[in-house]
Amino acid sequence: MGNKQTIFTDEQLDAYQDCTFFTRKEILRLHGRYHEMAPNVVPMDYTKDPDVKLPMQLIINMPELKENPFRERIVESFSEDGEGNLSFNDFVDMFSVLSEMAPRELKAIYAFKIYDFNTDNFICKADLENTLNKLTREELTAEESVLVCEKVIEEADMDGDGKLGFSDFENMISKAPDFLR
Amino acid sequence: MSYHYNEAFENPDYHNSETLESGRRKASQMNSMFRQNPYDSSPYDSYTDHDGREQRQSYSVDIPMATMQPGLEVSQSAKRWGTPNANPYGNTHINHSFEYEPEFTYTPPSTLSTVDGPFARRSSDASEASIVQRRNRQRADSVFTTSSDFDRTDANAAAYNENKESQEEKIIRNLASMTTRERIKAIQKMPKTMKEKREIRNKVLMEKTRKSVSYSTEIHCCTQCMYKIALSYRRFRNGLSELFQSLQLWQKTLKIIGGKFGTSVLSYFVFLTWLLTFNIFSFLVNFSFVTIPQFIAAGSNNLSFTGLELLTGAGYFQQTVLYYGFYTNSTITKIENSTSYDMQLAYIFTIGIYFVICFFSLVYSMAKSFRNNFVNPQTYSGNAGKLLCIWDFNITNEKAVRLKQKNLSTQIKEALSEGKSEDLNLSLKQRMVHIAIHLAAWIFSLGTTAVCCTCVYYLSINNLKLFMKGDGTELENQAATLVLPIVVSLLNLLTPFVFSLLELLEKFQYPRNQIYVTITRNVILKMSIIGILCYYWLNIVATSATECWETLVGQDIYRLVVVDFLFCLLGSFFGEFIRRIIGTKCLKNLGVPEFDIARNVLGLIYVQTLTWIGIFFSPLLPAIQIIFFFIIFYVKKVSLMMNCQPPRKVWRASQMTTLFIFLLFFPSFTGVLSVVAITIWRLNPSEKCGPFRGLSSIFDAVSRWIDVLTNYPRSAWVVWIYHNLIESVHFFFILTVIIIIITYLYWQIIEGRKIMVRLLHEQIINEGKDKMFLLEKLRALQASTRDTPARKGASQQFSTTSSLYQPPGQLDQQRHLSMPNYLERPLEKNKSSFSAKPPYTADFPETSGFLPGDPQRQQPSTKPGVSEALALAMRARQQAEREMEDEDEEDFRS
Repeated sequence: MGNKQTIFTDEQLDAYQDCTFFTRKEILRLHGRYHEMAPNVVPMDYTKDPDVKLPMQLIINMPELKENPFRERIVESFSEDGEGNLSFNDFVDMFSVLSEMAPRELKAIYAFKIYDFNTDNFICKADLENTLNKLTREELTAEESVLVCEKVIEEADMDGDGKLGFSDFENMISKAPDFLR
Repeated sequence: MSYHYNEAFENPDYHNSETLESGRRKASQMNSMFRQNPYDSSPYDSYTDHDGREQRQSYSVDIPMATMQPGLEVSQSAKRWGTPNANPYGNTHINHSFEYEPEFTYTPPSTLSTVDGPFARRSSDASEASIVQRRNRQRADSVFTTSSDFDRTDANAAAYNENKESQEEKIIRNLASMTTRERIKAIQKMPKTMKEKREIRNKVLMEKTRKSVSYSTEIHCCTQCMYKIALSYRRFRNGLSELFQSLQLWQKTLKIIGGKFGTSVLSYFVFLTWLLTFNIFSFLVNFSFVTIPQFIAAGSNNLSFTGLELLTGAGYFQQTVLYYGFYTNSTITKIENSTSYDMQLAYIFTIGIYFVICFFSLVYSMAKSFRNNFVNPQTYSGNAGKLLCIWDFNITNEKAVRLKQKNLSTQIKEALSEGKSEDLNLSLKQRMVHIAIHLAAWIFSLGTTAVCCTCVYYLSINNLKLFMKGDGTELENQAATLVLPIVVSLLNLLTPFVFSLLELLEKFQYPRNQIYVTITRNVILKMSIIGILCYYWLNIVATSATECWETLVGQDIYRLVVVDFLFCLLGSFFGEFIRRIIGTKCLKNLGVPEFDIARNVLGLIYVQTLTWIGIFFSPLLPAIQIIFFFIIFYVKKVSLMMNCQPPRKVWRASQMTTLFIFLLFFPSFTGVLSVVAITIWRLNPSEKCGPFRGLSSIFDAVSRWIDVLTNYPRSAWVVWIYHNLIESVHFFFILTVIIIIITYLYWQIIEGRKIMVRLLHEQIINEGKDKMFLLEKLRALQASTRDTPARKGASQQFSTTSSLYQPPGQLDQQRHLSMPNYLERPLEKNKSSFSAKPPYTADFPETSGFLPGDPQRQQPSTKPGVSEALALAMRARQQAEREMEDEDEEDFRS
């Protein structure tokens, strides 16, 4: 118990619990992980909400993200500055959304962000090509990837603007129940 | 639809047009600028200069596009915005970005559509989302604010902030009115950063406490006390849920498996744990209500234990609580004159209630699974799903990631090559050959199944004869009983391999069909073997002259379960371990075996079916099953980690899980229910053993109990229920009719919904086309309005180019005409007719097909400032579209 008190106040823990899908223990464990990455920078005492941010390089080397082809995008999508620097809040937020308990709708929103490489609120052809390269380790020829991307847009684009808006995306993944489980 | 959009660019005239040239350049500028416009968090910090930052702090407005324009346009827009009432709609409108965007006509489609971007469309919490949206825009846009806009941004900023605050207040009020649980859920679901969520949460809490304080200032102490109690209760509950989470079996192992092999293999293990919990539950029920009382009344067991019994289940075990025959038919009374425990009733009610609970939990999980995974039965067979939905975010293992990526690229390549060759139609002869092959495969597989069944049938009859004769030594007898289960397990193990050889023969167009066909064949095989066995048990063993047929059946099932378990272990040893050795050492091109999910899951379903049947004859069978499932879990895990690689094919894990739960329910559980029902209602229980000895049927126990109860006036309701509901044919008849009617009604509703969904889908497509068309129009108009009379020549050139969608004419005329033209354009209901001709061809349909009450109808078509009129129209259109889409989304959801 004593240990808990030094990291977060009860009030903070309650707030975290209300805002994420985690339990107290998990939040403390997350703090442990966060602290572990940069013991010199991240204080043990979080009762005063210190303004600490860890750079993307540290975060994407976590075993959970290390092998994910979208790791940079994931971290960027969750960082408040869009650069991949995560404060502890962002960090908790990220794992909360990625956890099993998070509902599909929420995951879909962030998945959309992740796939939207150029952050223009649309998944356009360039985004799709980026995604494809990440998915296949650039084993496809340029023609093939262009063809695939065109097909994707053709299939999923309902409002006909030549790119996928969020509603297109949402509609699409509603048909793929395996997505982001 | 990219077609329409692109055509404008591809049109050489368009490119030559000077006016549009500038517009295009701007559009590309905007694009590059908008690349920096993110949703929640933008990278603008990196590239905005110091100046931009300061502005962001002091001026929070959204005036996105205007700032990017050359001086001329800015001054124009400034003039237009000089009058405060330039916007007739006031500040009530939702789309802020639209509201204060005088030059929005310049925005490329992407920026216009940000209005209905991802967040604003969220129908469930649209209001919250719009705030997010606006906030983002505000932040991003203010960066681009230049000094020339300051004078008009101040007023807007104030209005904007006011609006934003009121929106937030609304959310907070909404949240405050919810119950704690709902509120937490709502907050958790918000797609916002933690900081904002916490802020909102704090505000809501403050609001709540403020309210409660204002309600009761005099009992302030009491409320605080209540609050504290509620808080501690919540903490207690959270602690409990933590405890439950830690109780969940193998959570960590499952995570590791998921990380290494992906969701598909994980689904097998999840299914295994799910069955395990089922068995644990049934064991607890049976043990506490049937076995423990029996222990109290149990006599001594004078049979010797040799060890072979573990395999055969006979001998020593015959006289234990493991089997039906051992249970007493008497009422158990520990203390004289106290309430007694009627073993007959306990047995029948425990098992009955267990099956009812099983039934409901199966139906529940099946329905849930269906709801989640078959919301929209039409699936993307093509690339869209593959590309964006295929990544399994569970995987964290390096090797698995590489493998998955490799598989993906080959899959995509295959799909591409298939797409090319898809067009060539099969000739009639080829098709006939295909059908003949399928037919032959089916005949072969069904024939194999029939042969297996006959084999099992004669073997089992032989088995019974052997048992009845009882010649030979005890050991020989026991060994002979093992023949049947070994043969059954062998058939179960080997026939699927034969079936998988058939797969090579028939070449299915889609791998999905192949999986379904194989599963169907295997299910038919397994279920017919079990069916034959049930026939043997219920019709032959039950009527034979054995001393205690129930125990015999129990023993048979016990043996089947045990031998199947052993074969499962052997199967994973030979099928996976030896196979890997061969694959890696001898025949390199075979490679490492894949984990066959379907086969393994079907094996589990088979064993579970046996266990359910066995529960009546051998109440402690679930306990044995628990032990086996435990061992199987670890063996499979180790075998998987050591020998296997993730399956190469795309495995629709969630749909497959649904299918497996369905299979577990439909042939398996319903079959078990009918077997148990026949046993209880039809068959004569053994004369000399078991709790129901001496009764004509097992259900007689209940009728006798009811007869006893009729003497007690207090329990008259039980008697009434029994006679009027359970025994009554009329009741079940009426119930069935009602259920059929309800089903029919729901079916009709579903049909209606389907039509609705289709219509809405078409509508979305049409709206998209509308949008594109309007944008085209807008761009053209914008270009023409910017044309000064001095540059008439250029505009003339433009108007000739615009003949594509407008009859050539005077510029002024065009301005006025184009408005009504597009306003009058009917909402196309027919998709095909729409796509047949581009919307901007010269011949517009003259009819005005607008829905009554469409906001655009009320627009005066000859408004002096064309772009303003267009702005209004566009905005109305946008709103209408959004409303429709919200509706649509709701429909999709429900």
